[in-house]
Amino acid sequence: MKVSCLQENLARGLSIVARAVAQRSTLPVLGNVLIATEDGRLRLSATNLELGITSWIGAKILEEGTTTVPARTFVDLVNTLPNEQVDMELTLRTQTLNVRSGAFNNDIKCIDAQEFPPLPPSDIDDGITLNVEELREMIRQVAFAASSDDARPVLTGVLAEIVDGRFTLAAADGFRLSVRSVSLISPNTEPLKAIIPARALSELNRVLSDGEETVTMHLPAERGQVIFRAKNIELVSQLIEGTFPDYAGIIPTDYVTRSVLSTAALYKACQAAEIFARDAAHSARIRITPGTDTEPGTVEVSATSAETGSNETIVDATIEGEPVEIAFNVRFLVEILNVIDEPNVSLETSTPSSPGVIRPVGSDNFLHVVMPMHLGR
Amino acid sequence: MQRTILHIDLDAFFCSVELLRNPALEGKPFIVGGKPGSRGVVASASYSARTFGIHSAMPTSQAVRLCPELVIVPSSHGNYGEYSDNVMSLLRDSAPIVEQISIDEAFLDVSDAPESGESLARELQIDIGSRFGLPTSWGVATSKLVAKIGSEIGKPKGLVVIPPGGEANFLAPLPVDMLWGIGPKSRDRFHKSGIKTIGDLAALSSVELSARFGERGLELAGMARGVDRRKVHEGHTRRSISSERTFPRNVSDETELLRMMRSISEDLGARLRKKGLAGITIRLKLRWPNFETMTRQIRLDQPTDQDAEIYTAAVKLFKKSWKKGQKVRLLGVGVANLGLRIRQLDLFDRSWEKDERLLDAIDKIRARFGGQALTRARNLEAKVRRQEEDP
Repeated sequence: MKVSCLQENLARGLSIVARAVAQRSTLPVLGNVLIATEDGRLRLSATNLELGITSWIGAKILEEGTTTVPARTFVDLVNTLPNEQVDMELTLRTQTLNVRSGAFNNDIKCIDAQEFPPLPPSDIDDGITLNVEELREMIRQVAFAASSDDARPVLTGVLAEIVDGRFTLAAADGFRLSVRSVSLISPNTEPLKAIIPARALSELNRVLSDGEETVTMHLPAERGQVIFRAKNIELVSQLIEGTFPDYAGIIPTDYVTRSVLSTAALYKACQAAEIFARDAAHSARIRITPGTDTEPGTVEVSATSAETGSNETIVDATIEGEPVEIAFNVRFLVEILNVIDEPNVSLETSTPSSPGVIRPVGSDNFLHVVMPMHLGR
Repeated sequence: MQRTILHIDLDAFFCSVELLRNPALEGKPFIVGGKPGSRGVVASASYSARTFGIHSAMPTSQAVRLCPELVIVPSSHGNYGEYSDNVMSLLRDSAPIVEQISIDEAFLDVSDAPESGESLARELQIDIGSRFGLPTSWGVATSKLVAKIGSEIGKPKGLVVIPPGGEANFLAPLPVDMLWGIGPKSRDRFHKSGIKTIGDLAALSSVELSARFGERGLELAGMARGVDRRKVHEGHTRRSISSERTFPRNVSDETELLRMMRSISEDLGARLRKKGLAGITIRLKLRWPNFETMTRQIRLDQPTDQDAEIYTAAVKLFKKSWKKGQKVRLLGVGVANLGLRIRQLDLFDRSWEKDERLLDAIDKIRARFGGQALTRARNLEAKVRRQEEDP
């Protein structure tokens, strides 16, 4: 193998794949990055067997070939090289990669590419085409609600579902549920259901930031994998086995009180309450008071701590229904309000122990259900 | 009984926290403290600053004279309390008795832990390092005094083990003012009498000691030989409640032990609900016929005041510690790390709320008709049940 490329491109490609490098593995080759010449480009791939990421970068191929380079060494080295051309040449017999740039001359000991786990074939079935910008927003609005507790593996994943030409992502950590859907570009798509690790989707969100416009999602039969493929990037992840809870069944169909208020004002009020709620398991009280003929309705967010003190913030709101007082983990509220871009949100509540529903006003493709906290008696 | 006491000290604590916020300070002489103009003092000095002779409580202006390139980080913005709380609650979850003596120091009594004090300390040292990024120093000994001096000697990132019986030898070469309660004044008095090291003090006869230093002299001499019987006391801020029963005769029957555990759990649950408190740590105490006692604890996901949750956790601990047929002399259950009852409700599992309503009803009936008004059938005396079955 003999290739030349720009340091800048190589460094960017490596930073994309580096997150999939196995941290501590009994299999040394998983600590390496695969480099391979492929259709006039240079392929960089890393995998920890759960998650694999590939990035293709522009390169001048002088001689085809492939090897795997220890990731730490390679990344550190490339980041110190000058922003110039990098020439790489592999000595096959010793598996030594010579990396040369300007006055810098380095030899890195590599591992034969045959030991690297197999990568998804290039000729997989037609996938489902998704708009990158939309997909990234969906991930941002859903993935945070997945559980980080491995005790219930299914909940550490995000359910991806296609029904009636709509693509939906849903995640729930046991206390809250985020559901976001979108109409598919090609509406006549077969229904499907798969649980993708939330971590893989967060990585996808990260690696897709690089100017890609569309991405295709593939779920090859019987492989237990999902593959996302864009022009210069591919991400493959193991799926999570199991049955995702029936989330539709826990979305309240009714409410007693509906409050509509400014997203930004409620977000600020929750942030302020969070400071005082730290010593009280992050609990904040929400007191909803409907307006009168002369006064607007209000939503009061308050938190109290024996040590820190107390706070309350009043936000004007349009309220239909009964007054109600309910407590929530205010961190959950901050997290959900942070991913709503619409200027107004609605909060639907019933009793102090029934779930609350938060939706952006003017958009019916996103909703969030959050269980309240039970305080005192 | 021989005790195993650990002393932990968070190395240059404020500086370590600042280093996490700003890694560029690594290796630099810096202090956390007040500005030199405003009569500020050094709250904590980095190890690099200490090589210039800078130490805590020194006026900042003097510190700057000793090291002109000293970086001064104002102590106002650090979230030291939060880091300290995190470490302390990890300690409370790992040891049955923890006494926090300041923001960055604590004693742990691990006398009845199955592992050695050394391996427990090493585990915690690694755990605190990897979870919170904070370096710690540890002393492992049979008393508070020796453990504290041990961690002092090993700083930073030290782990010093003083084996039982080795206390006097360990202390002997150390300067006398390393003993608790010996300040600069007493040190000077000792030095005048030719007593420089702790060993010098230990070598004096009790007659000589009481003649020269009074009753306090005897006390100090005991300390100099490593004798310190002070107990590790739990702080008052984190309360706990517990209940234990000594059986009239040793019991090895599992059903009877479990029934006792359930009855204690119900008692604890009722007490917690009456006080409006809930706890996140559940403890089990077992005493064997030879008076050996062991305690085990487990941390729940959320604080509880429900009988069944306390019982389930206690049973889990019991199954791990008890072998079939083993005789038990005393059984105790405790709930620790008490706080307000705040419960995050679950989306999928609503059983907690159901139990909550049931317990509420039971508590109300008991409040009206007395504690015996309602009893779980399986808690009734076995005898009574047999009579009912056999007319």
